[in-house]
Amino acid sequence: MYSYPKYGSKGTSSSSGSTGAQKSRERKVAPQVVVKTEDPGAPFRKASSYEMDYSNHYIHTGHYPTQVIRNVNFQTDGYPKLQKLKDLKEAQVERHATKPFGAKVQTDQMISVLNKWASQGLQFDVIMIGALVENQFIVEILNLLPLFKLCAKPGFVFIWATTANIKQLTTLLNGERWNKKFRRSEELVFVPVDDTSEYFKPGVNDGSHRGEGNGNNESLLGRKQWHCWMCITGTARRSTDTDLIHCNVDTDLQIEPQGGARVNHNDAVPETFYKVVENFSNSTRRLHIVPCHTGYKHPVRVRPGWVVMLPDVILDNFDIEAYEQELHSKSYVKFRNTSMNGHQKLVPQYLVAQTSEIETLRPKSPN
Amino acid sequence: MSIDDSLARFLALAQFFLKDKEALLEEPYRGNVGVIWALFANFCKEHGFSLIVVTGAASFVLLLEEFNDVSGTALILKTNESPEQTKIEWINVANIEILKNRLTSDSAFEESQVAVDCSSQSEVKPVFQSLFQILDGPLRTEIESSRKINGFDYDYSRLWDALTEPTAMVQLGKARAELTSTKKPYFEVCENKHHIHVITNTFFNSKTLGLSNEIPSNARVTKLLAAAQHMIDKEVLECIRTKIHFLPLITNYTDVNLGNCSYLDTCHKLKNCRYVHYFTMCPPLQPNTKETEKQVVAMEYTIGECHDSSTRKPLPPQWINCDVRNLPFSILGKFAAIISDPAWDIHMALPYGTCKDTELLSLPMQELQDEGIICLWVTGRSIEIGRKALGQWGYTVSDEVIWIKTNQLNRTIVTGRTGHWLNHSKEHLLVGVKGNPIWLNRKIDVDFIVSGTRETLRKPDELYEIVERIVGKHARKLEIFGRDNNIRPGWVSMYGTGRFCSFHLLQTIY
Repeated sequence: MYSYPKYGSKGTSSSSGSTGAQKSRERKVAPQVVVKTEDPGAPFRKASSYEMDYSNHYIHTGHYPTQVIRNVNFQTDGYPKLQKLKDLKEAQVERHATKPFGAKVQTDQMISVLNKWASQGLQFDVIMIGALVENQFIVEILNLLPLFKLCAKPGFVFIWATTANIKQLTTLLNGERWNKKFRRSEELVFVPVDDTSEYFKPGVNDGSHRGEGNGNNESLLGRKQWHCWMCITGTARRSTDTDLIHCNVDTDLQIEPQGGARVNHNDAVPETFYKVVENFSNSTRRLHIVPCHTGYKHPVRVRPGWVVMLPDVILDNFDIEAYEQELHSKSYVKFRNTSMNGHQKLVPQYLVAQTSEIETLRPKSPN
Repeated sequence: MSIDDSLARFLALAQFFLKDKEALLEEPYRGNVGVIWALFANFCKEHGFSLIVVTGAASFVLLLEEFNDVSGTALILKTNESPEQTKIEWINVANIEILKNRLTSDSAFEESQVAVDCSSQSEVKPVFQSLFQILDGPLRTEIESSRKINGFDYDYSRLWDALTEPTAMVQLGKARAELTSTKKPYFEVCENKHHIHVITNTFFNSKTLGLSNEIPSNARVTKLLAAAQHMIDKEVLECIRTKIHFLPLITNYTDVNLGNCSYLDTCHKLKNCRYVHYFTMCPPLQPNTKETEKQVVAMEYTIGECHDSSTRKPLPPQWINCDVRNLPFSILGKFAAIISDPAWDIHMALPYGTCKDTELLSLPMQELQDEGIICLWVTGRSIEIGRKALGQWGYTVSDEVIWIKTNQLNRTIVTGRTGHWLNHSKEHLLVGVKGNPIWLNRKIDVDFIVSGTRETLRKPDELYEIVERIVGKHARKLEIFGRDNNIRPGWVSMYGTGRFCSFHLLQTIY
């Protein structure tokens, strides 16, 4: 617990040999003193006698610091229980996934189509917007998306941006249409492991030249990050809404494996991010909006359990009725009592059913 | 050789093969080049191809190979070291027919070229393969232009490459950083499971270490290794000498099936934790033999550094220990770089004192810098406040750096409920720029740091050197809200425990 006592740990005492009474006296005398925690790992670290500086290594060899990370290809290496949980959840998600749906919609038609869907009462619990392709961040479209109507409450939006876009994204979130409806809750980051990555081409998203989409040449460091903001609308509590969400299964950082783009066929969104979403939200209604053509080099593939809207999607089979039928037949439907404008109302929730094994394995939040 | 001559050779060969066709593969010739070459020489004399001189099997084989190039492999040859033994295994009559027609028709030369292209491609790879090859290649947009401008070919991809090439300043800056910074020791981690197996079998196990849950000292492990040296083969010993090994510490509490401890070497209950812990066995640090600093005497590239950078000594550490909120900043002068790690109030029970947002925002930061950079550590909710604060203090956010936190085993931290919705494997650092500092060395480093976690709140030291590379080694640098373990040469640290006041500042005139 030691590296992170800031996250509500109570176990920062002990191990130092002083009694509890002594400790509390110390606190009383000098309440403002920064409590210096003793380091039980010190003998370990003394043994290692020095710490390596991978940034220095990068200067001398050009090898990215991420290359030394040993769990890039197998993130849960050493944690069999967590891997088991992820496997079980994956199987469960698969069992309750609708068949893949694609909606081939041109960029200029998207707003009207989405408005139509929303007016027909269609809602999604998870909406992902954009991809790791630089032409996707079209503020005009993002601003007009009927997200509030289209997104269930509680609902989650995952939106992709480059470092240069973050300013606009902040404005968007604080702007008229998004303000107070979506709150930024996590910032997911995607970094490469070496410089062969297809997602980090020179001149794109690297602040190397004076283009507005490129950060106006302001950057002091080589840019090697894609950002994905996770935003929440409505209220979800991590301790009580466990049928809706499972927290702390995945982490907010994903690293592209070596030669990753080639292995994963250069998908416009690496599969690992769909998995993060599926592990987090237990709802089955998932929409992925890709505002612009991604081209054949970075295709967006259809995926079971997701509706993908994009101008170049290969499959164009979306039909509201067929989709709702699929949802009803595949999901575990649960009715939730909510009050809307003072009226009590039963709202159906389309969920991935959970097993008792998953329940025992998943990380629990303190109440 | 003129074109006509070479064509004549192929025409002769074509006619020769068409005359006898597959019969050449049977008795008495059996496709034997050693015999056929004489037959061909004879054929040439009879049909008036007097210019063609075939002197032996060797030259005939060469001729056949050329013929194959032209005809799209009309002959299947079984080559042998001695040309006499080379055999013709198959004669593709159709290909030879086509070649002959091309050669004898009027526009012989131009068309024969096309014929060769088509036949070789259709035979070697199917159409879709070559299409995919085109698709996999770089995107090319060439704009047709009626005007012919010398030296400008409207090749979009070439222009793009030229535009995105790192500038000379970046390249020179990188090269200088490599020359002037000392190379720190770097060791790889051994990924060979067999080596770990050998080590744990021979000297690192509960028999040798005992079941007491003590972490063995470095000296003890060295002793054990020395004692067991004769049992380990050379390859493994060499690996121990050059790479890092993580050795599992198995005690009578350990349950191997549970997997690794989330906290590893920072575990509180090390003595009776049931999860697996590790001992890091580092290779012995080589005495600085070759590593005596390459002293760079002078550097011709001086942009972004002082002219006497190589001879100047860094200043000793300076610090002020006081309540930062009450210090008049104006006495400190101006700084080129500021690192700030405020104790953000993130609405949680924290074991350390925090600072209110308003207090932070009201700090007179504008007095510390006219032009330069600021690095601000932020977390969770405070990312937004941090961005706002930078804007308010007159900075534009130029970079979002992340610190990828690693554990003892050089893995990212994936367990342990380290975040609210998702686990946090990284921390954020906002970098802001103020004014128009043209003297910054840009893009030498990348925007992520990979470094192990240490005590709570302690940030990676890598950042100091990254900042030094940006603003220059001898620029004035300030750390505000530092802690006393952060004082370092060349930096002024400002921190407060609220308990003592002390300071150590040099009077230097810049």
